[in-house]
Amino acid sequence: MGGLFNYVLRRILFAIPVFLAVSIITFLITNAAGNPVDIVRIGIKSITPAQLAALRAFYHVDDPLYVRYFLWLSDFVHGNLGQSLYTGSVAGMIVPWIGTTLELQIPSLFLALLIGIPIGIFSAKRQYSKGDYAITSLAIFGISMPTFWIGIMAIIIFSYYLHWLPAFGAVSAYPPYWWGSPFLDVVAHLILPLSVLTLVSIATITRLIRANMLEVLRQDYILAARASGLRESIVTYKHALKNAITPVVTIVGLSFGVLLAGAPALETTFSWPGLGYRFVVAATGLDLPVVQAITMIITIMVLAANVITDLVYAYLDPRVRIS
Amino acid sequence: MTAEKKQARRSASQWAVAWRRFRKNKSALAGGVIVLFFIFMALYGEFFAPYPPRSFACLYQGCTDLPPFTNWAHPLGTEPSGIDVYSEILHGAAGDLYVGVAATALSVAIGLVVGALSGYKSGAAAAILLGVTQVFFVLPVLILILLFSRIFILLVAKGLALTLIVVILGVFGWPTIAFVTRGEILRIKELEFVQAARSLGASNTRILFRHILLNVLSPIIVLSSLLVAGNILTEVVISFLGFGDPSTSTWGLLLQEGFLYVRTSWWVSLFPGIAVVIAVLGFNLVGDGLADALNPRIRE
Amino acid sequence: MATAWQTRSILGYESETVGELLRVEGLKTYFFTEAGVVKAVDGVSFVVNEGEPLGLVGESGSGKTVTMLSVMGIVPRPGRIVGGRVFFRGEEITSKSSEELRKFRGRKIGYVSQDPNSSLDPLFTIGSQLMEVVREHFQVSKSEAFERGVKLLEKVGIPEPETRMKSYPHELSGGMRQRVAIARALAGEPELLVADEPTTNLDVTIQAQVLDLLKALERELRMSLILITHDMGLIAEMTERVVVLYAGMVSEIAKTREIFASPRHPYTAALLASVPRLDRKTSLTPIPGNIPNLISPPSGCRFHPRCKYAREICVQQVPPLESIGGGREVSCLRWKEITLQEAA
Repeated sequence: MGGLFNYVLRRILFAIPVFLAVSIITFLITNAAGNPVDIVRIGIKSITPAQLAALRAFYHVDDPLYVRYFLWLSDFVHGNLGQSLYTGSVAGMIVPWIGTTLELQIPSLFLALLIGIPIGIFSAKRQYSKGDYAITSLAIFGISMPTFWIGIMAIIIFSYYLHWLPAFGAVSAYPPYWWGSPFLDVVAHLILPLSVLTLVSIATITRLIRANMLEVLRQDYILAARASGLRESIVTYKHALKNAITPVVTIVGLSFGVLLAGAPALETTFSWPGLGYRFVVAATGLDLPVVQAITMIITIMVLAANVITDLVYAYLDPRVRIS
Repeated sequence: MTAEKKQARRSASQWAVAWRRFRKNKSALAGGVIVLFFIFMALYGEFFAPYPPRSFACLYQGCTDLPPFTNWAHPLGTEPSGIDVYSEILHGAAGDLYVGVAATALSVAIGLVVGALSGYKSGAAAAILLGVTQVFFVLPVLILILLFSRIFILLVAKGLALTLIVVILGVFGWPTIAFVTRGEILRIKELEFVQAARSLGASNTRILFRHILLNVLSPIIVLSSLLVAGNILTEVVISFLGFGDPSTSTWGLLLQEGFLYVRTSWWVSLFPGIAVVIAVLGFNLVGDGLADALNPRIRE
Repeated sequence: MATAWQTRSILGYESETVGELLRVEGLKTYFFTEAGVVKAVDGVSFVVNEGEPLGLVGESGSGKTVTMLSVMGIVPRPGRIVGGRVFFRGEEITSKSSEELRKFRGRKIGYVSQDPNSSLDPLFTIGSQLMEVVREHFQVSKSEAFERGVKLLEKVGIPEPETRMKSYPHELSGGMRQRVAIARALAGEPELLVADEPTTNLDVTIQAQVLDLLKALERELRMSLILITHDMGLIAEMTERVVVLYAGMVSEIAKTREIFASPRHPYTAALLASVPRLDRKTSLTPIPGNIPNLISPPSGCRFHPRCKYAREICVQQVPPLESIGGGREVSCLRWKEITLQEAA
């Protein structure tokens, strides 16, 4: 497995310049319209002189651009994420936010894979059948809907009209708790956003798996495997699936960025206090330190997801390890 | 007949075959109809709309917050703020079509050039372009779009904000196109007929444009349709979150307002959403249909 | 080449004819596509005898591969066997359930496909791909299966077989991959091996090695061979009897020597004329016209649009496959009248 280790190392090393590039881009964007302090001053009438002074110090506005960049970057790497305009130290608050977002994204991804993969396989094996047609139609509908809109519809139906589930937040701020206990309260709050997110993900994954399985099932080695007398379950789940899933792994990993991108809208809809929601709130309020911090954190998460994806891919497909 | 002309002839009939296959595909045709309808709505919707865009007329006419299907003058209901939902949906089509198509065009233009250059040429320049493509690919696009949009909306004149969004989407959307272009060019570069053409003395530029572009265009066309769908969805998200242009009608803006009134006026969220789903579905169906039609099949 | 042949007795199968291994009667396999029904195999009949290597020859699209896939029961969607019967050692296999047929595959009939670069799963080691076939057909332990795998690799001439078991397909050359594919086809110890264009995708130097390997395996394992190819040269070298296919139907069946010496079907003659020969000076004449459309094939004799001997009757009647003595069969309405050129 030496090849695998080297490959992983190379991927991690590659991630570093990418991270730097993104940090530069983020920094440039935040400073593109002028320095952050001026922007805040224009945008927020109610800013206090004390806050302005704090911002000035954090952003070192008296220094030239590139110096500011390095100071900001070094601050970030050392964990100094600045002070929010409204809520205190950014670094202190950001970890729970990450947890809240992951609380939604990870189970959703897991469920979507668990459900979407078998459906995709079924659809591919029974191509041209009524079941396949139904599944592909549903799937294409699924990817055409804005996730947050389904969330809104779900809130209207299940919360406002049926009163079955809560409409916002990750927990109830005070008793009475939904369904009796604080734990079940969390579960109750999780159901709607999780279901909505999972449904749309299932549509995407089903389409991917189906497309890849169709490709793979056409291949010679599948025919050869059948010709050797191997049973159909081995042909499908050992050979076909493993070959079909490798590109899916890549796409799922790469789209982790897209998944996180769906977070702002979905989290806002449910007032789910994760990174996405906080980003929207901060960006609307021009709370630039928070905005920048979240951007960089999300970038790191995306890069980490990419590295993990590459790892899994290289584990599955031995041809990749040489290059 | 020269090798080039023969190849061009064969490629021309390639398109004819693909068109015939597309026509037979029912869902692709349905998608095509939807897309055409959507374009029609975008171009001529204003003539069918009872009110001008962003008109709060109902405030003065006393027809605010009407539920749908109760009043023929306001078939899809009105917002508490006085906006007529049906009218705004018609106006919004134009905004969304503009964003969808223009941003895609921009992405394709950039992506084709970058992809072609990094695929056809080898060496440092190509490697740098590839690197840039990879970096852009990894960027958390939506986040940066929101950031960019928020900072610039403050300083940009009204009405231009939508164009700004087009530009941002275009600038962040090209990596996929570039990757695919590059992949196709790398693959085709090695094919025999290109080497044959080169040996016949055709100059580099002619080879590039004639033979390679023809083959690269198939997957790009498919991607373009899907990209329009994606850009519309992204615009909707941006406007929904309040980072769009508050003075131009778009469906995302409607959905934002709908969310404000979600407790009392569910129709403001439902109907614009349906419009989005149908429009995006149309482009997705067309994209899928094109992928099927242009895909060379092995079986006779 | 007469071989001293020991008939293997397997669970008491009885052959109708002594030494008959495979019998195909009136096989029809159609593909139901969106563009129409493709009649890929439309009434094919032939017999394979033990110890007599058979060649299945024809242009691409003639139905050679689909015929053998039909025999094994693995015709891909949207294809289906719609008529005919197949017998293996006298037992009808077309009436078997798919599960019974599956046990049959690999154990009685082995198949090696065309492209060695794609017939092995790139994500699994060679060892695991060999062992899974062994363990499917025989109740053996993992270590026993490993040993058998090593022996199989030895038999096909792979050096350092034990280390090779852990290799991945992409780590081997094209020639070695083809050998491994052959080894896998042999893993079930079949009585009949179908080699589908085994040398088409290989370098010329490797081709000879693979052919020698196949011949050696026939001898050592007492295995019968069906060779699918469009290359008449291979036919001459490897087979004793030939079935010539055109557009899903049989044109001619005869001993290889007879086919070369005096072909009876115009298509066979045309095939021979398009192949370079060392023994005589001839000019290469490609066959005029195109491969027929199998959704709406030509009326009457399917070869008539390209046949220089075609007459009115050839357009109207479908020629039956006639026995013309000495084990030869021809499907040409004018075979008695035509004298074909290719004398040896």
